[in-house]
Amino acid sequence: MFMDIKNPFKRSATKQAALTRKQMGLPDPSNPLDEILGLNMRNALIAKYNPRIAIDRALDKVAAKEALESHGISCTRSIAVISDYMGLMHFKPEEVLPDAWAIKPARGSQGDGILLAVGKQGDNWVKGSGTVLTPDTVMHHISRIVDGQFSGESMSEDAALIEPLICADPGLAKLVPEGLPDLRVICLGDQPLMAMVRLPTMESDGKANLHQGAIGAGVALETGQITRALKGHEVLNKHPDTGSQLVGFQIPHWEKVLEMASKCGPAVGLGYSGADIVLDVNEGPLVLEVNAHPGLEIQNINQLGLKAQMAIVGEDFR
Amino acid sequence: MKRPFFIGLAVGIGLAALVVLGLLNTESFLAMPSSFDGIATSQAIWGLKPSNLLMVLPLGSFLVVLARSFIGLRAFGLFTPMLIALAFLQIGPVMGPIVLGSSVIVGMIVAPALLKLRMTRVGFLGVLISLIVLTLVALQIVLDTQLQVDAFPVVVCALVVERWWRQWEKDGPFEAARIAFNTFMISVVVQFVMVSHIALMLIEASPLLMPAATGLAIAILGRYRGLRLSEIHRFAPIWLERRRIARDEEMSAQAVLPGLLDTPDVPELTLENTVLAARERAPPIEGMWVIDSVDDLNSSRRRRVPQVAPDSEVQFVPRSGASKRPAKHNAWIVRSVEDV
Repeated sequence: MFMDIKNPFKRSATKQAALTRKQMGLPDPSNPLDEILGLNMRNALIAKYNPRIAIDRALDKVAAKEALESHGISCTRSIAVISDYMGLMHFKPEEVLPDAWAIKPARGSQGDGILLAVGKQGDNWVKGSGTVLTPDTVMHHISRIVDGQFSGESMSEDAALIEPLICADPGLAKLVPEGLPDLRVICLGDQPLMAMVRLPTMESDGKANLHQGAIGAGVALETGQITRALKGHEVLNKHPDTGSQLVGFQIPHWEKVLEMASKCGPAVGLGYSGADIVLDVNEGPLVLEVNAHPGLEIQNINQLGLKAQMAIVGEDFR
Repeated sequence: MKRPFFIGLAVGIGLAALVVLGLLNTESFLAMPSSFDGIATSQAIWGLKPSNLLMVLPLGSFLVVLARSFIGLRAFGLFTPMLIALAFLQIGPVMGPIVLGSSVIVGMIVAPALLKLRMTRVGFLGVLISLIVLTLVALQIVLDTQLQVDAFPVVVCALVVERWWRQWEKDGPFEAARIAFNTFMISVVVQFVMVSHIALMLIEASPLLMPAATGLAIAILGRYRGLRLSEIHRFAPIWLERRRIARDEEMSAQAVLPGLLDTPDVPELTLENTVLAARERAPPIEGMWVIDSVDDLNSSRRRRVPQVAPDSEVQFVPRSGASKRPAKHNAWIVRSVEDV
């Protein structure tokens, strides 16, 4: 009676075989839904493995970068960090900014508030879409970031992080019409569990965001080859815009990517993490950010359950 | 077998039953507050005393927990639907949604113009609040001067408008509309469950019963770690694909002559064999991961790759090849229990 109150969702004792498998920490093979990690369970894992201080560090791109670099993991270079109104007043975009740059909110999420310039035109810069950015609009965007408009619900002040624009590795860039493909590796501790590459499309407007129509492609951890590509719910074989073959494509520098990803979580202090890695043409794999709350769509893309992967690695779901 | 599905379904059916009870308990849908002779709207329509409005709040939070962690509905804000439902109780089952809808629509129409003014976020929200209050006053004048809008969550409403625009910018109008619809539907459901016979009976029985019972229920159900109903739909392709593959395998196994299956080539499982097999599986990088004894297969065992202490100076050194770590692959891929 008392046990029931302590664990009300325990499986009834009828399935003894399934229970013993469960006691070994393995998911029940007769129920594939058992292998899938749901949001409730993910949140429990985050509560278990990701301490608050590490989550804060991961959310703040500037702090995460410091932690990663002190562990010898290469990140994107920073041009400037503007963290207050004082810095904002003294910032002269025309003197500091190179021809191509990216301005990001340090605590933004899901690509919110990121401004990219791909080239310079006289005194102004040009966005990927061709829109002209005057120094005034750039300053306004930075002040919006510092105001905290892109930092979620907290309404707190934020820092603007200015980085040189990353130029994608041609090996990977040839797959996509425009934009920067990025790799996502989910790790438990230093153990990679699952990986995907997000490929921008014309529909996603060059953004590597699955919600906006980018392609998600599952990558086999052992080989670094794309096993399966998905756009929304539609299974693809070739990229719809460039026509390049996706399934079977070998991701360049895969060994290095995997090694970096497995070091990212421990470096920031996260036990369950999703590393976002991009391949730069000059510097090779660079860590873009480390997510403390990585999404679950990767399971649909790889057609594998994260819970099963974790059970194999040794996570105990009892 | 599909336990999360049945749990979600049971929660859904229970909620629907409670909503029907609440609907049956509703006296009139369209009555204006001025026709109630000064009696509060919630009491005139549902028999819920204004002093008991506080008691139904825990029930609202309980329902929000159910909607989030069992059904998996996304809404603007965490307990926003609960606060909106409370406002509905004070304004009326039909007038409430009208008031909410008109104030949110006014906010939505004005928001793009406000965004062009390049205000800070706080300023933007402040202007939105004044606009929503203006709308409320206008509605009071036009519809009914007795309309009780004082409990209307003006700030929550302003936040909803702001969230709406962000969602629109991020995921497009359809996703934003879907979440807005979810928020609205959850508030309507919460409203009717709050005034169902069962809830009112509990409140009338003892003022302590309702908060205590819902608190206990949330504490128990809040431990649920299984899949949400919406996630079953989301990840169903994996499940269907597995089932298809399993069926194909079964078919091909039946097609193969049974005699061929009887002689599986299983090597003897000894510790030496395990070590040998692990060595074969290791990637052929020299010096990467040395297995000398059975102990080395233990996952807590220190790896033999030379580890370099963290070097904070690395950030000032030129980037490529800066980390003094040997260029060896140090990430293990674990695919089955035997790999550990």
